[in-house]
Amino acid sequence: MGKKLLLAKADVPGIRHYEVYRREGGYRSVEKALRMQPADIVEEVKKSGLRGRGGAGFPTGMKWSFLAKPEGVARYLVCNADESEPGTFKDRYLMEFIPHLLIEGMIVSSFALGSNVSYIYIRGEYDWITDILEDAIAEARSNGWLGKNILGTGFDCEMYVQRGAGAYICGEETALLESLEGKRGNPRIKPPFPAVKGLWGCPTVVNNVETLAAVVPIINEGGEEYAKIGIGKSTGTKLISACGNINKPGIYEIDMTISVEEFIYSDEYCGGIPNGKRLKACIPGGSSVPILPANLLLTTAKGEKRLMNYESLSDGGFATGSMMGSGGFIVLDEDQCVVRHTYTLARFYRHESCGQCSPCREGTGWMEKILLSIEQGKGKMSDIDLLWDIQRKIEGNTICPLGDAAAWPVAAAIRHFRDEFEWHVNNPEKCLTENFGLRHYADPVHVPVTA
Amino acid sequence: MIQFSDHKLKKVQEIMSRYPEGKQKSALLPVLHLAQEEFGGWLDVPVMDYVASLLSIEPIEVYEVASFYSMYNLKPVGKYLFEVCQTGPCMLNGSDDIIAYIKEKLNIRVGETSADGLFTLKTVECLGACGYAPMMQMGKNYREHLTKQKVDEIIAQCRANAN
Repeated sequence: MGKKLLLAKADVPGIRHYEVYRREGGYRSVEKALRMQPADIVEEVKKSGLRGRGGAGFPTGMKWSFLAKPEGVARYLVCNADESEPGTFKDRYLMEFIPHLLIEGMIVSSFALGSNVSYIYIRGEYDWITDILEDAIAEARSNGWLGKNILGTGFDCEMYVQRGAGAYICGEETALLESLEGKRGNPRIKPPFPAVKGLWGCPTVVNNVETLAAVVPIINEGGEEYAKIGIGKSTGTKLISACGNINKPGIYEIDMTISVEEFIYSDEYCGGIPNGKRLKACIPGGSSVPILPANLLLTTAKGEKRLMNYESLSDGGFATGSMMGSGGFIVLDEDQCVVRHTYTLARFYRHESCGQCSPCREGTGWMEKILLSIEQGKGKMSDIDLLWDIQRKIEGNTICPLGDAAAWPVAAAIRHFRDEFEWHVNNPEKCLTENFGLRHYADPVHVPVTA
Repeated sequence: MIQFSDHKLKKVQEIMSRYPEGKQKSALLPVLHLAQEEFGGWLDVPVMDYVASLLSIEPIEVYEVASFYSMYNLKPVGKYLFEVCQTGPCMLNGSDDIIAYIKEKLNIRVGETSADGLFTLKTVECLGACGYAPMMQMGKNYREHLTKQKVDEIIAQCRANAN
C-alpha cells in the first residue's frame, strides 16, 4: 500500500470539521510556515518537485518564482476549483470531505506569495461544496487562521469562494480570471502571463486544488522528503479519479510507482472490469489526453510495463503514449464503441468552446457532426480523413489549449482505432445494433528488435 | 417591481465587499445566481437590468455574461429541473438509457417542460461525477448512480412535494 499524504485522514469521522481536523494535526504547516521567510517556502516547494495537478504538470515552485512583485501592487492567489475535465472528480472529493486541507494549503501559499486576499473559484454546479468550503473558512477564521495579524505575525489573509456558472473553459487560468472579474470566460492572449498581469491586472498565481493541498505535507515534512516519494520527475502522490467500466470507481491516492495494470486490476484500486469483460481502451488522464488501446496502455512500445506517472504515461509521445493530465482515468470494456465515446467528447468540446477562435468554434462543431454521422452508419471513408484534417488544423491554432484538448481525443481515436471507424463506414446497418468489439486491441505489442 | 428581499440585498452587499474598491463587477456571477433563485428560476430581462443597476454596470454587461454560462436560464423552467449528464464516462454507464427513460416517463423532449409545469429536462456536459454515473443535477444537489427505478422514485417524490 502506497503512502498517503492527502487522504491519510480522509476516513477519520468528522474530519470535515475544524475541531477534528485540528486534533489530527491540521494547521501545523501554517504554524511552521509563518515562522519561515516566504522565499524559503517557495524554495521548499521547488525542492519537492511538485507539478501542477490540474493537468498541465508545470512545476509549481517555478510558477511561483515567476510572480512579479512590483512595489505597492496587490498580489493574488487564486485556487482553480473549476474541475470540469470529463473523467475528473478528485478535487470535488478533497473539498467535500477535507475542506480544511485546501484552506490550510492556501494560507501557507498565500503567505509565500504575499497574497492578502485569496479566492477559490469553484465550478457553479458544485453548489453544496461551496457551502462546505464557506463553513470551513468561517471555522478557520474564528480560530485565528484567517483574518488580520494571523498568529501575531502581522500577516493578514482573507479567503472567499466564488462560484462559476457552468463553463469548462473557466478551468483555463486566464478565462478563470476573466470570469472572476465578472465577464464571459474568454481566455486571454499570453503573454502577459497572470504572474505579471492577472486578476484585475495584478500579479496572480492560479493553482489547482490538489496542488495547493499538497503544499501542506511539503511544508510539514520538507520538500526533500516529499521528493523521495515517486520516481524521477513524478514526485509525491497523485489523486486519480477512476471511472468507466471498472468494479470500484472512485478516488485513489497513488504514489507514482505502481503499474497501470496493477491500478486497473488490483483490489486496492479499480478492482478489475465488471462481468468478467476484457479491457479494450483507456483514457488515463482526463478526456483531453490520447486514448490508448489495451495493449499500448499496459505496455509501452518498447515493451516495458507502463507505470502510473507523468513520464511513463507519456512514453512514446502521442504516437504510442498518452498523458497523466488531470488524473481522470476512464476505462472502456470490450463492448464499448470508441466512435460513440469519441463523439460524446467532441460534443462536449463543441459545447464548451468559448467561440473566440474560428478553428475551435467551427472545427469542434464539424468534428461532432462528422463523428455522429459515422457513428450512425451514415459516414463515408473520406470522412475519416476529413476528421483527421480538421483536428490537425485546430491544434496549435487557438488562443488557449481547448483547441488542442478537442483535437487530441479525435486524433488518438483515429490513430489507434481506425479499423473501428472503417468498420462503421463499411457496415452501416450492423453498426446500429452491434459493436466492433475487442478485436486486436489487446494483442501483444510488436516490439521491433534493434540490432 | 423587481427587488431583492432585505436578506438577499444584504448578501449582495457582502459579496460586493469581497473585491477591491471599484471592482464590484466581479460580483456579477454570484449575484446572478441569487437573482435566479429569487425570481422564479430564470433570468428575465428586467431582472438582469435590475442586477446591472445594483452593480452599477451596463445591462449589456449582464446579458453577455448570462448568455455565456450554461447555468443561467434565459427562459422559464419547470419547478424541478433535471440536468442529466451525457458525456463519455456517463455514456459508458448508460446515460443514454436514462435520458430516453425520462423523456418517455414525462412525455417531453430534451429542453422541454412538462404540461403541468413541474419538470424540465436538459442534457448537460460533464458535471464531475464520473465515478458515480449515470447522474443528474437537480437544484443544489446531484442525484447519482441513477437507475430507472431511482428515476421513478425521484419523480414521485417531486410530485408529492409539489402538492
